Parts: sequence; C-alpha cells; structure tokens
Amino acid sequence: MQSKYKVGLMRLNLLAGALLLGLLAPQAPAFASALLLWLGVIWLAVTAALLEFSHRRPAILPWQLLPGLLLMALLWTAPERHALWLWLWPAALLLPQPVWMLAVNLLLAALSWWSLHRLLGAEQALFAAFALLTLTILAVARRRQPQRPSVRQRVRLAPGLPLWSAYQLYEDLPRERARCHREGVHGELLLLRVPRHQLWPMAQQLCRQLHGFENCYRLDQRTLAALLLNRDAQLARERREELLANLATPRKARVIALEAIDSLDASLGRFQEQQDSLAIDMEVTHG
Amino acid sequence: MDEGNPAAAGRFAIAYVAGALLLAGYATWHYLMGHYARILPPALLALLMLVAAVLRLVLIAWPRIPAYLVLIAGYLLLALELPHLDGEAVIWVGLAPVLPLLLLPLAPALLLNVALAPLWLLLGGEALDGEFVLSYLAIMTLAPLALWEQRRQRALLLATDPRDPNCQALSHDGLHAHLESEFQRTALLHQPLAILVIHLPQLEMASEQFGRRARQALLDTLCNEATRCSRRHDFLGRHSDTTFWLVLPDTSENGAQLVQQRILQALEPVVLIDTGSLRTHMGLCQRLPGESWQRLRQRLCNLTHRLETQ
Repeated sequence: MQSKYKVGLMRLNLLAGALLLGLLAPQAPAFASALLLWLGVIWLAVTAALLEFSHRRPAILPWQLLPGLLLMALLWTAPERHALWLWLWPAALLLPQPVWMLAVNLLLAALSWWSLHRLLGAEQALFAAFALLTLTILAVARRRQPQRPSVRQRVRLAPGLPLWSAYQLYEDLPRERARCHREGVHGELLLLRVPRHQLWPMAQQLCRQLHGFENCYRLDQRTLAALLLNRDAQLARERREELLANLATPRKARVIALEAIDSLDASLGRFQEQQDSLAIDMEVTHG
Repeated sequence: MDEGNPAAAGRFAIAYVAGALLLAGYATWHYLMGHYARILPPALLALLMLVAAVLRLVLIAWPRIPAYLVLIAGYLLLALELPHLDGEAVIWVGLAPVLPLLLLPLAPALLLNVALAPLWLLLGGEALDGEFVLSYLAIMTLAPLALWEQRRQRALLLATDPRDPNCQALSHDGLHAHLESEFQRTALLHQPLAILVIHLPQLEMASEQFGRRARQALLDTLCNEATRCSRRHDFLGRHSDTTFWLVLPDTSENGAQLVQQRILQALEPVVLIDTGSLRTHMGLCQRLPGESWQRLRQRLCNLTHRLETQ
C-alpha cells in the first residue's frame, strides 16, 4: 500500500499563500507591517522549497515558532488592517507541535486578542475572546501529537529506501554479528565519510547496490554505514571492490569485519582518526 | 485515525458544549439588550450544538454527523448576524473559512471554502475593497496548511514505520518487505526458510464483544509469547487484522515444528479476563527448493486464507 499523499499539492498551497502575502505587502502603509508580510512570504517560500516526503529535514523549532510570532507581530503593529487574521490562531494551534510550544502559541494568541480589544469595543471584544476560546478547544481536540523521538529513531529516513538512523545500527549490529557467527556468514561493516552535501545522493547510490537484506544507516551529517553480507571473505572482497569502484569517490572509507568489532563507538573513533582513504580491519583487535 | 476513540470523542464533545454556551450567551445578550426578535436563532442553534455534543459521544463511529451539525449552526449564525453588524464587524467574516477546517477533513473543507467564498465576501463587506478580499483569501489559503502538515506527517510515518501501531510486530508492509529480503538472503546463503502462520479467531469479535482492552490483551499475549519462543533474528509480522506470520530464517521443518509446539505450550495455560483461553489456528510453510518469491507468497496467502476461513 503506497501512500497516496501528494507533497506537490501542499507545496502549491504554500506558494499560493506566499503569493497572496506578496500582493498584500506593497499595500501596507507602515514599514513594519510590510516587512513582516515579506518575512511571511519568505517563510512560506522557503518552507515550500525545502518540503519533501522524507525525514531528511525534520522541522527545527525556531522555524516552527516563526509563523506564530509573525502573526502576533502583524496584529500588534496594524490591528485595524489585519483584524480578520485573528481567526488564523486556531489553525496555528492545529499544527503538530510539542506541548510547550502550544502554550507559547496560546499566549501569543491572547496577546493578539489584546491588541485588538480596543478596536472592537468591549462587547465585541468579549464575544471574540469567547469565540476564540471555543475554537481553541476545538483545535486542541483535533491536534495530533508530533512524532515522538523514539518513533523517529525506528523509521526509515525516506519511504522506500532502506536507510535507517544511527540508533537502528546500534540495535542491529549485535544481532547481525551473532547471526553471522551462527550461520558462518562473512559480515562486514562499511563506513563512508562523504562531503555533507553529497550525503543523500551517496546514500541513494549505496542503497541501490545493496541486497534487499542489507541495510544502510546515516550516522551523522557526513557519515554513512552499511552492513554487507557474503558467503565468505573471498566473495566479500570482490563485492566490496566492485561496490567502492561504483560509488562516487568518498572522502574516506573503512571496512571492518563484524567479528573484529568490539564496540561500535571504538570503531567509529578509529574511523575519525583515520588518515588513509581506505582502511580494512579483518583481524580481531584486542586493545 | 484517533478520531474514533472515546477520549477524542470526549474532547470534541467539550468543544461543542463550549460552542453551545457561546451561542446561549449570545442569545442572553440579545435579551438583555432588548433585541427580542434576534433571540430565537442563537437559542435554537445552541440547542443544535448540544445535540451535536451528545451525538458525538453516542455515535463514536460517525464523527462527521455532529461535525456537520456544528458547522451548519456556525454558518447559520454568521449569515444571520453579519447583516446586523457594522463597521468593525468585518472581523467576524474571518470565522467562515476557519470553521470547516476545524470540523471537516481537508478535502471537503477546501471545497466548501472555495464554493462559499463569494457568498461570505458579499455578506462581509459593504466596503468590498481589494485588500479585504486579499486578506480573506489569505486566511483561506493559510489556514489549511496546518491540516496539510498533519496529513504529511501521518502519511510519512505510515510509509516509513515498519512496526504495527497496535502491537509489538511488524506492520503488513513492513512484514512483506522484510520477508522478501529474508527470502533473498536465505536463497543466497543456501539456507532453509520457514514461516509459521498464526491466526487468532478471537481477535475478530473481541473488540465488539469485550472492548478495546480485551483485544489489546490478546494481541500483547500473542506477541510476547511468540517473541519469547523464537530467536532474536526471527520476526513476527501482522499480515492481516487477525493473522500473524512468524518468519524463521535458517530453520528446517523440524525446527519450525518445534517452535510451533513451544508457542502452543506457552499459550495453553493463558487465561485472559474477558476472552478466556486463547485459541489459535497455526499452519507451517516451508520454502520449497527452487521456489520463486511470488510462488511462496501465493502459497502463504492461500494457507492464511484457509486458516482464516476454518
């Protein structure tokens, strides 16, 4: 069951929003609100540009806080022009966000209402407050928890790609080592250091060359790892040479037989210090 | 997904009651001001919202019916009151595009907003100037972004999480992907591959007869015992709602029968509070020499079907 979700439509929606704010911005009389509107345009456009259907770039918190802050600032600087947008607050609360951010947004919403209350007059302001409160309850009822970090650790980083988080490697490695030992299979861990901007293309190249049962891991922004399984050391060497020849040259690589890994952290440490472009550990090292 | 559970129903009902109170307050306000002719609509609509709140709690499986009632109440009140308000009253028009987004799924909400936009713009502005229209359109485009993001995150999780959301097993997609790779691995390494199909007939009715907790107890018991009786690299996946596949790589037929025996023995003494003893139908499937992945999968599905209709 492949997901029918279309990221393109959401991008279109983001761009339409950016366009509308862009049309409104030149009409704003005050410099401050024009500036805020342009900031909104930038936020929407950049979000649209970076949007994709993967866990490659989980949203960072300051970025998520920005729309709320912009909305509050707009209502504060020019309440008479943007009063209509008070009702965007329930939608802002609907966004997946942690509880503390929800609290911050509620506070910002209250401040926005305060900036409008003089404009509306006492009765309407009171009624608007209650209406906003009701919609807030509704929005909170419909809110979804953001993904918990524990869930994010166990998922594939992109749909359809056997690319997993570093956490998963710590889970898989002892199991694979025991299994290879039991079944008499030659297993190796391949570590690759790549330039930061080439990490994703390289990960895709690597995943394409792996068997279905071999996994690839993203250890940090510059390091990839893969588990390679072969019937014996001879086959493993041929396969490894072919694989490395087919990859766009990584900065450096290290191949470690699973039996030779005492602890993953120690192996990663040695990889950090490694000067040569390729190192191979096949012997059991006792340090 | 989570809109069907009682806790969510309670939260929505509270929100609807708050809406009813708001409308009742508005009716009272008209009474105090002496606008006797304008009392009736908000009072009636407040009652409608109360009905919606009750319906939300009673018809947990149909959350859309009360949502539409609340939407109708909100729309009617706005349409009736907007002509009476003047000047700064323009602010209330902004409610119209936000209401459906809070109450309906994304697609109907968008459709409704686009269809009704001209109507609300006419009702809202005597001063129908360009900036007002742009502001209204901006609300209409910006508000749905929250729902888009919700959907994106949920779909992404479904597409990338190999685990079943309700129990400690792989999901259907995760299971099939993992089984196929295990098929390749054992083929490459010339190892046998066995799959134990476990059907739990009680799961089908447990939810209706005994509720969610009984169903969860069944699931947890099976997953725990199956995991306990298997090795670390064997894995359990949920093929359908009631059927699990336990994949046993590098296991001969005898070994697989042994595992089946062990699971049966482990489940035998189990007595759950609601459902009593746990009944299972099990079947074994071994990869035949030279068999293709499609063929094995077909045989597995046939076996599963036989067990499920037994």
